[in-house]
Parts: sequence; C-alpha cells; structure tokens
Amino acid sequence: MTTFPGVDSDLSGVMQAVFAKHAAAGEQDASVFDGALWEELTGLGLARLTGSEDSGGSGAGWLEAAELLSAAAASGVRAPLAEHDLLACSLLEAAGLPVDDRLRTLAEVDVDGLALAVAWARCAQRLVLVWPAGGGWLVADVDPSGTTEIVPGTNVIGEPRDGVSVDLGAVQGTPIEGSLVEQHRRKGAVARAVQVCAALDRALALSCEHATTRHQFGRPLSRFQAVQHLIADMAAECALARAATEAALAAAMRTDWAGDEVLFRIAVARSCAGHAATTVVRNAHQVHGAIGTAIEHDLHRFTRAALAWRAEFGSVDQWDRRLAAIVRDAGSDGLWSLIAD
Amino acid sequence: MSAALRLVPPMSADPAATTELRHDVRRFLADQRGRGAYRPRVDCWLSAWDEDFTRALAARGWLGMTVPQEYGGHGRSFLERFVVTEELLAGGAPVAAHWIADRQIVPSLLTYGTEQQKQRYLPGIARGEVFFGIGMSEPDSGSDLASVHSSAVRADGGWQLNGSKIWTSGAHLAHAFIALVRTSPVDPAHRHDGLSQFLVDLDSPGIRIRPIVSMSGSHHFNEVFFTDVFVPDEQVFGTIGAGWTQVTSELSFERSGPERFLSTFPLLAQLTRRHDGADLGRLVGRVAGLHQMSAAVAGALERHEPADVPAAVVKLLGTATEGDIAEVAALLTGDEEPPDPVWRELVDTGLDQRPGFTLRGGTSEILRGMIARGLGLR
Repeated sequence: MTTFPGVDSDLSGVMQAVFAKHAAAGEQDASVFDGALWEELTGLGLARLTGSEDSGGSGAGWLEAAELLSAAAASGVRAPLAEHDLLACSLLEAAGLPVDDRLRTLAEVDVDGLALAVAWARCAQRLVLVWPAGGGWLVADVDPSGTTEIVPGTNVIGEPRDGVSVDLGAVQGTPIEGSLVEQHRRKGAVARAVQVCAALDRALALSCEHATTRHQFGRPLSRFQAVQHLIADMAAECALARAATEAALAAAMRTDWAGDEVLFRIAVARSCAGHAATTVVRNAHQVHGAIGTAIEHDLHRFTRAALAWRAEFGSVDQWDRRLAAIVRDAGSDGLWSLIAD
Repeated sequence: MSAALRLVPPMSADPAATTELRHDVRRFLADQRGRGAYRPRVDCWLSAWDEDFTRALAARGWLGMTVPQEYGGHGRSFLERFVVTEELLAGGAPVAAHWIADRQIVPSLLTYGTEQQKQRYLPGIARGEVFFGIGMSEPDSGSDLASVHSSAVRADGGWQLNGSKIWTSGAHLAHAFIALVRTSPVDPAHRHDGLSQFLVDLDSPGIRIRPIVSMSGSHHFNEVFFTDVFVPDEQVFGTIGAGWTQVTSELSFERSGPERFLSTFPLLAQLTRRHDGADLGRLVGRVAGLHQMSAAVAGALERHEPADVPAAVVKLLGTATEGDIAEVAALLTGDEEPPDPVWRELVDTGLDQRPGFTLRGGTSEILRGMIARGLGLR
C-alpha cells in the first residue's frame, strides 16, 4: 500500500526498501551527509526524481516525491531529498540553467548575501543562490568553496541548517520571475508538511504497537480506556493533517503552485499539521512512558523530527497568522468560498 | 516498514466538478437573505425549523437529491447532496424541518425499506412535506444504545410497541420516526441481537409527546412515549432482529456530514470582522481540513464502503472545533463595548448549544472507542 494514492506500488516498494536497509544499519548522525545512501538513491533514479529526463532526472511528479519524502521520514532516515530535487534543481531548471547530479541545496539570501538556516549547505557540492536585486530576482549556481562562507548550525534533530554568507559582487546572476521564488518557498513548506505527516503517522504506529505489547497491572496498556483515548486523539489529528496536506498537494498540481488558492491550501496544511504535532507528540510520549524519552528508543526519531519540521519554512504561528490575513482580505462573505471552492 | 495506517479515505472527487452547484445554492441563499426570509443561525440544522424554506429548497430539487426519480427524487449523487448541505449549513439556513429525513431516513429507506415504504415516504420527503425524527436514545439508554428497553411484541397483523424514546428533535412537528426496540429478550452473550426497527407514524394512537425545553429556553427536544402502539407488519423496517446492523449504517450517515463541523460557521464568519489573530487562523485551518475529510467520507459512502471509523474521526474533531469557535468568540465578548444584538445572539446560541455538539449522535468518548477499535486496540 502506498502512502499517497496514485503512486505506483512497485516504486513505493523500492523507496521503502532502500530506507529500511539504511535504517537497519543503525541510527545515523543526521549532521553527516550519508554519501553511500545518496549514491544508491542516485543509482535508483530517486535523488532527482522530479527532474526532467533531458537533464538526467527521472521525470516523476510531486506525488512520487511526496511518497519518497514520506518513506525516508517514516524510516527515520535524514537526507536532502527535498532540498536537492524539489527546490535547488527545480529552480535551476525553471530558470533554464544547466543541472547535473552534484548535490545541491537552495539558499535564499538577502541583498547582503546572508541566509540563516540553509538546509544541508555544508554538504552541498553546489549552492543555488537566489537573491533580490534591482526590484527583481537573480539566481546563480555556485561552487560553495569559492566565495561562500558557511557557518555550521543544526535544527533540533541535528540536520544541517547552516548560515550562509556570499559575496554577491563576485557572483553572476541570471534574472528570474519573483513568482518562481515564491513558488519554491511554497514547495519547501509542502515538503515539510509531508514529512511531518509521515513522522506523526509513525509515532502513531509505534504507540499502537507499544500499547498492545506493553503490560501493566496484568493487561496490555491498550485495554485501558484512558490509553485508548490518547491514541484515538492522535489518530484523528494524523488524519486531519494528512487530509489537509493531500488537499494542498492536489491544489498545487492543479495550479502548478501559482495563485492564491494553493497558498490558502498550503497554509491550511501547515496549520493543521503543526497543531496535529502538538497532540500527537504529547500523547505518543504519554503512551510510551519514560522509555519513549530515551535515545535508545525509536520514538524520538519521529516526535522530535515532527517538531523540528513543523517549524521550518515558517513557524506554526506564522502560518496561522497568514491564514488569518487571507481570511481578513477575503472578508466574512468570502470565507466560505476560500474553504469550499 | 509498511505504509501508514489510513483511517480516512483519500479525497477522490475534483472540487471543480461541483462548483456550479455550489454557486447555485449560494445565489439562492443570498436571494433568500435579501428578501428577509432568514437570518444566518448557529446550529440551524437542529433549531431553525422553517417549513416554507424547506419547500422552497424542495422546489429547487435540493431535497431527496439521492432518491431515484421513480420515488419522486432527483437521482443525484451523494457527493452532490453533500455539496448542497455544506452550502446550506455554511449559510446558516433554516433546514431543521427536513434535516433528519433527508440525511439519514432517505439512505436507510433506500437500503432497507420495502417497495411500499419507499413509495409511502420518499416522495413526501423529496417534496419537503414529510418530516422525521430519530428514535434511538431512551431515558436509560444514551451512549449504550444496545441497552434499549422499549419493546415490540407480536400482535394480530403487526406488533405492539411499549416504552419511550428521548432527545427526539422535532418530534412535536414531525410525521414519523424509526424506532429501535427490542423484539426478543437480551442475551448477555449477544446483546446486539434481538433489536429491530419500526417505522412509526407519530400520530398513531397511544403516542404521547412531552417537550424537553433546553437550558436556553428553546424547544427542539422531546420525549416520546408509546403505550400499546400498534404498528402493522408493513411498517417493520428491514429485518426483525437486524436492528443493530441497520442502525449502525444509519449512524455513518448521521456522523460524517458537514453539520459536524459547520454548526457554528455563521459565528466564525462574523468573527473574521472582529479578530485577525493566530487563533482565528487555526480555527479556519481546521474547518478547511475538516471540509476535505468530510468530503472524502462522503465519497466512501457514495461507493458503499464502510465508513463508521472515518465518520467517527470527522465527528470527534469537527464537534470540538465547532465548540472552539464559540469559545474564541465568547472570550472576545464583554461589556467593554456597546452591545451588538446580532453578534450577541450568535455567541450566546453558540455557548448554549455547544455542550450538545460533542454529545448528540454519539459522544466524543464513544467515538474515541470506535477509533481505538479501528486501530486494533480493542
């Protein structure tokens, strides 16, 4: 069974198998790029899943990409899947610039050439820079070892989130539409929503497994109504987050990421997934008891990841406020049309 | 590892396919409001009974939509009906008169009704002239529905009913209900056996209806007493002894619909004029996500897939959200501003109706139990 309906089940099986194998090799240090895994993903055509076939990509769509992100997240494997394929290479292709198999990430820097928390920057062989200039936007594909300074940082689960400083005066940029920049922000936001959903679903599955196998007072935890209710609330939130995220993906595919409707659906997905994480993470740890807080237990690979990812490409509060602003602009008579049309 | 557990089916329909229908309903509602035919109400599907409005909807073909044309209906899809009901609720329209009949009696009659029963009730429902109540809960049987005591015993040419039903919305105005009663004594090992359903006309001799006035002073609920009420054989609903299966199927229609997250939508719409904080965004996000989930469940019901667990998910989250909308609105409302009567009525109704949201049609606690069972925990 695939996570996203419509994805080929054999392809999904390949994805799950490759991550399961790497997960079985033991927990990785998320801050260290796993070159062997990346080589394998490249060989399977998964590293540039959505790239055009002309440029060496696999020509797949966002549903397949979402399936891939979910498979990695559900296995607790960290890799720059979204950053390379869905963001950096996608933007280069959209700008008509050449792409190859070298690992890339996308850094949106300011006029001074600075960006905070660029995912996987220190591991990338090429940095795709985008920056505002003269009322428009420029993009460039650069070798980070040249004019770039990288200050290592991580998110809470140890994935590289590095500061980047570039001397823009030494970089030759190609003009692109500002709408492309906005679309890639949206893609990043949806990628994280997909990852959050996968991590929350895994936390739910682990909680079901723990509750049915762990015995206290002579019976499985799942026999206690209080525990059943904790897990039922988790399941409901997981379902809401997934419904909202799938609706955002469907809107993105209908509109090719452009326009106000998809922004509203993405904001809904990020709000629902963000708040779902509150309930799911809290209840998953409550159900697991103290062992769930130990590094030797798997649970934190999903609960902490969900909390880290829901805070990227915009905090939950920022997405809630964006939703409120969209609603305010639509007016009380336009609210229902936003939701239903 | 295996793919994730999926409690709610994926959304399959293209929303653009029903846009025109949505806009038709929206224009109709704007026109009705323009004529002063109604003002948007909180909990309109329980408390706003307006038979003229119901007949106006029927004239548009928006009642009995899924009923085949041979029974006076319109042969539309369940998803089209879903779209119309969503629009009516979002508009806060007075739809209580026909709500129960159109929502759950129609699909039940189509599944379990005899030819004679379908001919007798469906055309009137589709015309907006025949209204129904629900005959499930009893004074001693709330969440534990299988414990009903009301009974039917064999009589010449039919059955004789004794007992009572409670929380029957609109029984004082409705024409009939489907009563769930015991037709054989409880077998403790198989307590869901021995239950049966009967179509009971509420003007039958031996029926007495007592109003139960709500704490706000409004009257929707009733207690219905039967004393030796004769129900002829042709009014047996479905199969004697199969009442539990039948009632469970009825509950999927009762639980998953848009009235489980839109009861306070008119209040949310007004809230956007007064508030633009993050909590407003959170509420709008949840309502929008619930719209997707509820539509997905409608798709499952259309395909005749079992939907009791996904319906429970929609109702559990949706009714909590409806209540949260009332709460956020109430927290913003005090005596520091001059009173706005329209706003106050929406807020006060929201607060008064809120306890019912998470009780009626299956309490949140029962729903959590159903979801836990769906996950294999019990």
